[in-house]
Amino acid sequence: MKNKQMRYASWSLSLLFALGAFVFFAGYYCYHLVYQEQFQLFMFSFDYLAQTTHKPGGFAEYISRFLVQYFYTPWLGGLIITLLLSIMQRQVLSISLKVADKPAYIPLTFIPSLFYWFLLCDEHYMVAGIVALVLVLAAVQMYNTIRPAVLRIVYVLLMIPLLYLLAGGTCIVFALLCVLLEILKKEIDTRKILFFVVGCILLMLCAPLVAKAILPQYPLSKLWVGVDYYRLQQLFPSTIWFLWILIVCIPLFFRLLPDVQKTKHSFIWIGIQIVLLVLLSGYGISLRADWQKEEVMAYDYLIRKQRWAEVVEMADKKAPSTPLSVAFLNLALCKQGLMADKMFHYYQNGSEGLLPTFIRDFAMPMMAGEIYYHTGFVNTAQRFAFEAMEGIPDFQKSGRAVKRLAETNIINGEYTVAVKYLRMLQQTVYYKRWATQALAVIQDENEIELIPEWAELRRYRTKTDFLFSEEEKDQMLGILLQQDYTNRIAYEYLMAYCLLTKDLSSFFNYYPLGKEIQYRQIPKSYQEALIYLWGLTNKDLSAIPYLIHPEVMQRVQEYGKIYATYQKSEPMLGTQFSDTYWFYLHFRK
Amino acid sequence: MKLLKDYCLYICIVSFLFVQFSCKEEVSSPQVKHELPAIFPDYTEVTIPPSIAPLNFKVEGIYTKIDAVIEGNTSGSLHVQGDDFIAIKPKAWKQLLADNIGGSLKVTVSVKHVDGWVQYDPFNIYISTYPIDYGLTYRLIAPGYEVYSKMGIYQRNLSDFTQTALLENTLIPGNCMNCHSFCMANPEKMSLHIRGEYGATLLLNDGEASLLNTKTDQTISSCVYPYWHPSGKYIAYSVNDTKQVFHEVKDERVEVLDLKSDIVVYHIETNQLFSTPLLKSENAFETYPSFSPDGRTMYFCTADVKPLPEEYQQLRYSLCSIAFNPETGTFGNQVDTLVSAAKSGKSVSHPRPSYDGKYLMYTLADYGNFLVWHKEADLWLLDLATGETRELSEVNSKDADSYHCWSSNSRWFVFGSRRIDGLYTHPYIASVREDGSITKPFLLPQETPLYYEASLYSFNVPEFITEPVKMNISEVESKLLSKERKQMIYR
Repeated sequence: MKNKQMRYASWSLSLLFALGAFVFFAGYYCYHLVYQEQFQLFMFSFDYLAQTTHKPGGFAEYISRFLVQYFYTPWLGGLIITLLLSIMQRQVLSISLKVADKPAYIPLTFIPSLFYWFLLCDEHYMVAGIVALVLVLAAVQMYNTIRPAVLRIVYVLLMIPLLYLLAGGTCIVFALLCVLLEILKKEIDTRKILFFVVGCILLMLCAPLVAKAILPQYPLSKLWVGVDYYRLQQLFPSTIWFLWILIVCIPLFFRLLPDVQKTKHSFIWIGIQIVLLVLLSGYGISLRADWQKEEVMAYDYLIRKQRWAEVVEMADKKAPSTPLSVAFLNLALCKQGLMADKMFHYYQNGSEGLLPTFIRDFAMPMMAGEIYYHTGFVNTAQRFAFEAMEGIPDFQKSGRAVKRLAETNIINGEYTVAVKYLRMLQQTVYYKRWATQALAVIQDENEIELIPEWAELRRYRTKTDFLFSEEEKDQMLGILLQQDYTNRIAYEYLMAYCLLTKDLSSFFNYYPLGKEIQYRQIPKSYQEALIYLWGLTNKDLSAIPYLIHPEVMQRVQEYGKIYATYQKSEPMLGTQFSDTYWFYLHFRK
Repeated sequence: MKLLKDYCLYICIVSFLFVQFSCKEEVSSPQVKHELPAIFPDYTEVTIPPSIAPLNFKVEGIYTKIDAVIEGNTSGSLHVQGDDFIAIKPKAWKQLLADNIGGSLKVTVSVKHVDGWVQYDPFNIYISTYPIDYGLTYRLIAPGYEVYSKMGIYQRNLSDFTQTALLENTLIPGNCMNCHSFCMANPEKMSLHIRGEYGATLLLNDGEASLLNTKTDQTISSCVYPYWHPSGKYIAYSVNDTKQVFHEVKDERVEVLDLKSDIVVYHIETNQLFSTPLLKSENAFETYPSFSPDGRTMYFCTADVKPLPEEYQQLRYSLCSIAFNPETGTFGNQVDTLVSAAKSGKSVSHPRPSYDGKYLMYTLADYGNFLVWHKEADLWLLDLATGETRELSEVNSKDADSYHCWSSNSRWFVFGSRRIDGLYTHPYIASVREDGSITKPFLLPQETPLYYEASLYSFNVPEFITEPVKMNISEVESKLLSKERKQMIYR
C-alpha cells in the first residue's frame, strides 16, 4: 500500500473491527466463549501434546486448545478471538494487496473474518478452524516473500504435506491461493503452471490417503478435513467450504475489480463498502447470535462460580424462561434463602425447572449436575459430570467435569481416584492452584471437614442406599431430609417439588417436617399453598391454624373473587397475582 | 598441532560430560531399611512368564534417584537407575529372563533422598517355566455409565509394550464396541459386537470377516455375552434386556440389571440360532454361557426372576450346567447346579472353565451379575474333578476382581481388578501351579509405571490371544458403512 492515507485508513478500520469484535465477544457474548472452555482439558504435558498432534491438523487443534483454556476468563476469551479474527483480516489484506494494490477494496478483506465471527456465534464452531486458517494464510504470506519462481513452486509443493500435517484439510486454501497467485504473477509458462497445478492436486489427494494408511482407525472423510471446525463429529457444515472459497476469492476480486484509487470518489467507494459491511455485520449477528443460549450460559457460569446473588439480580432484570435457567435461578434462590418466599415471583417451569431430567448429551448434564451437587445428590452430580465429559463429541476431556469428579470423589472418600483427577488438573493453568490445594487437604480428614462446602455435603449426603429415580425425586429428597431434618435445601426442594407438580396433599404431609429449620415465619409460597388448601374445605379463612400474613390473607380473598367472577380471569389475575402460587397452580403447566 | 590439541580438549570435555551424565551414581553408604520397598506396580514376590515385557516400576514417595540391581539366581544381572522410575532395557531383560527360567531374580532397590541413599530389603521375582500366549486383547473405555467417549478394542504384545488398535470408535463415529471373544485364544476366530447406527456383530472366522444381524423375532435382544465352542463351530451367546440403575450411597455407583435374559447358540455354518426351553425359561434369567473344553457341557448362570429394580439385592445367580451334543447341536434334558445361590447366599457370574478341563473359575458377589461394579466381587475356583470350590484369596483384593480369562495352556489367567483406585479396572495376570495353588498376580507391565495413574481408561474383558489378530480395517469399515448384514435365523 503506497498511499499513506490508505495505510492509516486500513489500520483504523482494522482497529475499529477489533474493537467491535472485542466489545461483542468480551462484553455481550462472552458466555459462549466460557462455554467452549469447559469442553476441553488442555494439559501441559508431552503425552497431551502427542495425543493431540498425532493426526492431521492436530497442531492447529493443539494451539487452539491452548488458547481456549484462557476462555475461562471471559474478557480474555474475547481478546483472543478478537486477535485471531484481526490477524486473519490483516493476512487476507496482505495477500490481496500483493495481487493488486487496490486499497479501495480494503473493506472486502474483512468479510472472511466477519464470516468466522458469525460462525463463532454458534457454540459448536471451534476455534481450531480459525487457527488453521491463520497458519495457512501465514504460509501464503511466506510464499509471497519468495522471489524466484522455481523456489516458490518447490516451497508450495513441500509445504502442502507439512501444512496438511499442521492444519489438516485447510491446506487446500494454501494450495488454491498459491496456484491462483502463481497464475496471476504470470512469471512461468502455461505448461509449467499446468504441472504445478497437477502437482498440487496430487499432493492434496495423496496426503489424506497416506494419512489413512498410517491412521487406519479414522475414516477418510475425517482425514480430508483434519481439523475439527465443528464440535459434532459427524457434520462438516457447508459453511466451511464457503469460507474457504471466500478467502480464495477476495484476492481474486482485488485483481478483477476496477481500480478506483485514481478516481476522486475512492473514499466514497470505501465508505459505501463500510456501510455495507456494517449492515452485513448487523444482519449476520442478528441471524446467528442465540441470545437465549447466551442467557442460559450466563446463568450456568454464575452458578458454576457460585455467584448466587448475581443470578438473582440477573433474573430480576429479565426473568428466565427456559427450564434450565429457571432451575439455576431456583438453586440460587435456595442458596440465598429466598426460594420458599420468592420462587413464584419468577416464571416457573414445573419440576424440570427444579431438578432437570438427565438426557444423553454433553452440555445439559454438565450444567444440570451443578444443581444435583448443591442439593446433596453427590453420586448423581458425579454421574452427570462423567456422562457430560464422556459425551463430548470430539472426545476431549473437560476441566470442569474433572474438577467435579475430583470433588465428588473427595466427598465420597475415594481419595485414590480423586488424586488421579487432581494430578491431571495440576497440569493446567486455571485448575492447578485449586488442585494443588485439594491434594494438600486430602491427606487429612480433619482438613477436609474444614472446607464448609465439602463438610456440608458430607453431612447431608445419604447414609442409606437408594437408587436414583427420575420419577421419584420427591422420595429421594424425602430420604435426604429424613436423615437430617435441618437440611434446609432438601426440605425446600421437596416442598418446591410438591408445589411445582401441584401435589398439594404431599405438600401438606411434608410441610410439618420443616419445623427443625425454624423459619421466623412461614415462607410466603407455603402460606399461599396452606391458605389455598384450607380454603378448599373451610369457608372461614381466618380460622386457619397457621400464622398467615395479613397481606397474604387479603390477597387470597381478592384472588378468589376475581377467579370466581370471571370465566377468563387469567389476564386480570396475571397483572396482580403472577407472583403467587395460586396463579401458578391455576394457569401454569 | 594447535588444532589437534583443541580437538583433544573437546573430546576430553565431551567425554567428561558423557561420563557425568550417563554413568550410574554409586549407591554409597546407604541407610538400610529392613522392609520391602513400596513399589508400584507391586512386583514383589510375583511369578512371571519367561517372555513378559520388562517390569518397570517406581517407588511410592519422593526421591531424587532410584536404583535397582536385578540379579538372576542362575546367571546375569542388571543395574538400572532412573530419576523417576526404573525403566529396564528390553533386550537385557529378555536375556536375563531367558537365563533364569524356572529360577528367580533378586531385586535390590535403593532410593536417593536429600540426605542420602536408602536401601530396602531385596525382593524376588520368580520366572515360571510355563510360557504365556502372545498377547492380550481388551477394550479400553472410561468406566462410565451410559455415554462413552473415545474407546476401542486393542491388542497388546505381552513380550513388549506394543499396543495396536483392532477397532476404535473414531472409525465410525457414534458407535461403540464390546464383548470381543476368541475361540480358545485363537486370533482367527473372533466375535465382536458393534453398537450404534452401523451396529453389527463382527465375526472373524478363519480370518474372514463378516457382519451379522443377531436380533431375531424369537430372541429378546441382539446377542450379548459370547463364548466359543472349542470346535469353533458354535458360539453361545446370552441375549439380555439390560438396564442400568444408579446408587446414591457413597460406596456404590452403578447396578447393571438384566430385566430379561436367555441363552442361545449360534451355528456358524448354517447361520442358525437355537436354544432349549431350559435356557429360555420365563421364570429364570439365564446368562454368561461357556463350554467345557470337550465341548459337551455348557456352563451358565441362572437366577429366579425377581421384580426389578425393586428387588435387585435379592437377585442371586447359581452356577449350572447342561449337556450339549456338538454333533447334533442339541441339549440335554437336565440342568445341574454346581454352585447354588440359595445355599451360598451369593451370586455367581462369568464361569470360565480352564482349557485343560481341570478347573472352572467364576466371580462371586453378594448379588447381581454385572460384578465389575461390586466391590465385594472376588474370584473363585471350582475343581471340576472333586467338585470343591474355594476363594482365590491369593489374587483377590478388597475391590472388584472380576472378568477373567485363561491362557491357551491353562497355566495363566488374566483378570480385571479395581484394586488400584476402586474405579478403573486394570489387568492382572497370575499363574496356576501344578498343585492348583495360585501365584501372586502382577499388573500388566507398561513402559512407564506412571501410565496407570494417568490413564482414564478401564481395561475391559482382557482375553488372551496366541498370535496377533489380523484384520483388514478398511474392509471392516466399508462393510460396516454398507449396512449389509447377514441375518441370523432362529431355528
